[in-house]
Amino acid sequence: MEEQVPLELLVNGERHSLLVGRRWTLLYVLRDVLNLTGPKYGCGTGDCGACKVLIDGEAINACTYLATRAAGKEVVTIEGLTPPDGRLNPIQQAFVDAGAVQCGFCTPGMIITATALLRRNPRPTREEIVGALDNNLCRCTGYVKIVEAIELAAARMRGDALWPSVTAR
Amino acid sequence: MAERYREIKAMEQSLAQSGLRYVGRPRPNREAATKVTGEARYIDDLRFPGMLHAKLLLSPHAHARIVRIDTSEAERLPGVRAIVHYFNSPHNAYNSAARFYGDNSPFIMPETEYIFDEVVRFVGDRVAAVAADDEFIAEEAVRRIRVEYEPLPAVFDELKALEPGAPQANPYGLDGGNICGGRLAYGGKEGRPATEQEVLDVIESADLVVEDTFRVSKVHHGYIEPVCHIAHYSRDGKLTVWTPSQSVFCFRDVIAQALGLPHSRVRVIKGLVGGGFGGKLEVMHEPVVALLAMRTNRHVKLRLTRKEVFLATRSRHAGVLTVRSGVNRDGKLQGTLMRSILNTGAYAGAGPNTIGAQSGKLFILYDAPAMFYDGVAVYTNTPPAGAMRGYGCPQVMIARETHTDHICRLLKMDPVEFRLRNVLQPHAVNCRGQNVHNARIADCIRAGAEAFGWTERRRAAEATHGGRLRRGVGVGLGVHGAGWYPVYQDLTTVIIRLHDDGTAVLLTGTHDLGTGSRTILAQIAGEILTIDPDLIEVIEADTDVTPLDLGAQASRTTYVAGNATIMAARNLRQQLLDEASRMWKLPAEALTLADGHVVARDDPSRRASIAEVVASAQRGSAGGPQRELLAAESFESLDAIDSYAADFCEVEVDTETGQTRVLDFLAVHNSGRVINPLLFEGQVHGGIHMGLGYALSEEMEIDPQTGEVKNTSFKKYRMFRAGDMPRIRVLTIEEPEEAGPFGGKSIGECATDPVAGCVVNAVSHAIGAELRQIPLTPARVLAALRQRSA
Repeated sequence: MEEQVPLELLVNGERHSLLVGRRWTLLYVLRDVLNLTGPKYGCGTGDCGACKVLIDGEAINACTYLATRAAGKEVVTIEGLTPPDGRLNPIQQAFVDAGAVQCGFCTPGMIITATALLRRNPRPTREEIVGALDNNLCRCTGYVKIVEAIELAAARMRGDALWPSVTAR
Repeated sequence: MAERYREIKAMEQSLAQSGLRYVGRPRPNREAATKVTGEARYIDDLRFPGMLHAKLLLSPHAHARIVRIDTSEAERLPGVRAIVHYFNSPHNAYNSAARFYGDNSPFIMPETEYIFDEVVRFVGDRVAAVAADDEFIAEEAVRRIRVEYEPLPAVFDELKALEPGAPQANPYGLDGGNICGGRLAYGGKEGRPATEQEVLDVIESADLVVEDTFRVSKVHHGYIEPVCHIAHYSRDGKLTVWTPSQSVFCFRDVIAQALGLPHSRVRVIKGLVGGGFGGKLEVMHEPVVALLAMRTNRHVKLRLTRKEVFLATRSRHAGVLTVRSGVNRDGKLQGTLMRSILNTGAYAGAGPNTIGAQSGKLFILYDAPAMFYDGVAVYTNTPPAGAMRGYGCPQVMIARETHTDHICRLLKMDPVEFRLRNVLQPHAVNCRGQNVHNARIADCIRAGAEAFGWTERRRAAEATHGGRLRRGVGVGLGVHGAGWYPVYQDLTTVIIRLHDDGTAVLLTGTHDLGTGSRTILAQIAGEILTIDPDLIEVIEADTDVTPLDLGAQASRTTYVAGNATIMAARNLRQQLLDEASRMWKLPAEALTLADGHVVARDDPSRRASIAEVVASAQRGSAGGPQRELLAAESFESLDAIDSYAADFCEVEVDTETGQTRVLDFLAVHNSGRVINPLLFEGQVHGGIHMGLGYALSEEMEIDPQTGEVKNTSFKKYRMFRAGDMPRIRVLTIEEPEEAGPFGGKSIGECATDPVAGCVVNAVSHAIGAELRQIPLTPARVLAALRQRSA
């Protein structure tokens, strides 16, 4: 068996003392050691973005990121972005309302990317949203409603009430 | 954003006028909240105590006989629990694409596959599989398996495979050659069957005869969730398989057949599907994982890597299509003959059935006195093709629609005008004598041409044709069914049970792939039972729990399962009225359901909630027997219902780099009444995405020497990214279809069918060249430009 090394990992605000293989990816540790299955394996080559997590606030592909590199950094997965009280955060709610979720496999990665974008740029243009999504693949939506969802989330987070709820009955 | 706001307001107004409470209203996918939080569990996210991990050994040869397999080195590795291969596994033939039990016609569904075969027939074919304590051990064990192969001659190209003396890619090929199943050839003239010669006579007697040959590439579904299965075999002899299936009952039958088990001993549970598009409609590696589970009595999981997905799953059929038409000077189409050769790869799978599906599409779009279709599926030593959104139809449409534009150029006739002159009108009878029902394709074309500004934009684009960046405007049509009537049985069953608080659970064998079928079935049931759809749980696709369904395929769910839901809900509505009639000693005809209550039509004070009526039935308190209020109904499709679409787009071609950008896209759909506009639009958007890649960037490149797929990553297999997408608008012609649920038809596949033809026509317009092969890579565009100036 491969030699294992100790790793102190900070994930979603919790500290974990782990033994990990030197070649284990962060995605493997999150999914198969910590049972955080929100980040998905989609390609293993950093091309689809389904595995994205926030590392020190930046959206990073966990499938090509060695777990040992995450030492001393703050890792946040989709689970860590979800409010504990059973509600959704504004970006999650916007994805639901805008119909941006179909099969849902790319969704956690999309929301991680959107979170990183809106934290550094609360008023992104459509081009900036599209640019931020360059490393996230979706096969169901043609990205149309994903872009709309991020616009909607940004508008709501700014308190801009122009956008009606599409699900209003 | 303001435009979107106005659209939503307009939609709300029109809904208020319709009298419908739930049907026709936008409503997000009901499980969306679990998907945005990461709470949703796909198969790869399931954890079972003691679960083993499986890994496949895939063939490095395109065609070879396995002489010897030595697993001794692999077995020595601690943590290896089972190794299976040809020499220690059952040999029961099956067809991975079987559509129902006993579906084994040698013409349509030849049984050419085994769990492991003595011969491997493509690079990526299964040789062996290992189950081990973790995936690293399984991977190492696979590396240690020694296999001695005897290489055999191979063929990769569908045309070469048809040449005399070509290597036989699969021994089931007809007459020692490579034709899979059989040749399908039939036609119609003036409402009755016609021979090829009769149709050719009509074509040749027209003023102008045009023939074009179009080549389409092999493309992959590109679902983001890699294929993943879990199986468990218990000591009391029950096999349970969790898989992202589009058709659990067919999977059960195939797995049972491969392993020699009775159906009652096999349970297939549909997991969440992370993208299907037909790619999860056929049994993949479930029989292998099941076999490993039977050898170990443990849960065994197999999850493919992305590279393995490209090598060892299904894809869209590559092929060559020739279209020959006769047309008169006045622009009236007289006849069309289409010949199609599809590359089905190493195994039959859905090959001949895809030919069958293709053939029907020829006859239900354009109106002409005579038409003929002639097609074959061909074996080659490449990864098997299979079902993919459109199921042969995108190939037909791209060949047909580019051919149509070629005719227009020769006639100097506007493509919109030509199509309006020649498409089938509502309730027309085509040359085979079929009624096309409420086919609103002409309305789609008219509405689209106006909304897109067809004439002005064509003209404006032509003003750029002297420069480096040239614009083109194109149109492309599409059509797709809503089920497979009358090809074979097309039924589904829905059960609805009322709970004692007036809420409900709906059990259906249908498969929600993220498309929202659970959501729309709840809307339909809710509309009839006047129960909020959020209070109707929908349980789907589990062979031991839900009633029978034949799969999320053929764009059938809305029409077939929607109608079954209507039948079950109406049945239950009547039971509620009957029970209330007993309670109040009033005739049932004097009662109705409104807003979650049974009420007397003439006396609104006579009013009982559904919960009260259910309680009365369960207690027998009104004098009837104690019973649960539930309804089970099977719906049998008895109509060939078709949805139609007209797509319009504008492209810009850089004549120096050969790069094409799609600037603007409009899709106009006639799917009858739209049950849920939010989900409907999502289907169209995704269909356009898939069609754009098909036209411009996607292609599984097969190495001409080795037969291996060369581009096995998303870096090299180029699907459109967000920045590649054009602006998209969707319009609907919501003329209701009489037989459809609330007038609805279908959308899934019709969203993709017209797209690539529309794009190629726009590029042809931009650069003034005939284009006969997709994808239109920069190299192909530059070659077309060079050929034009030569």
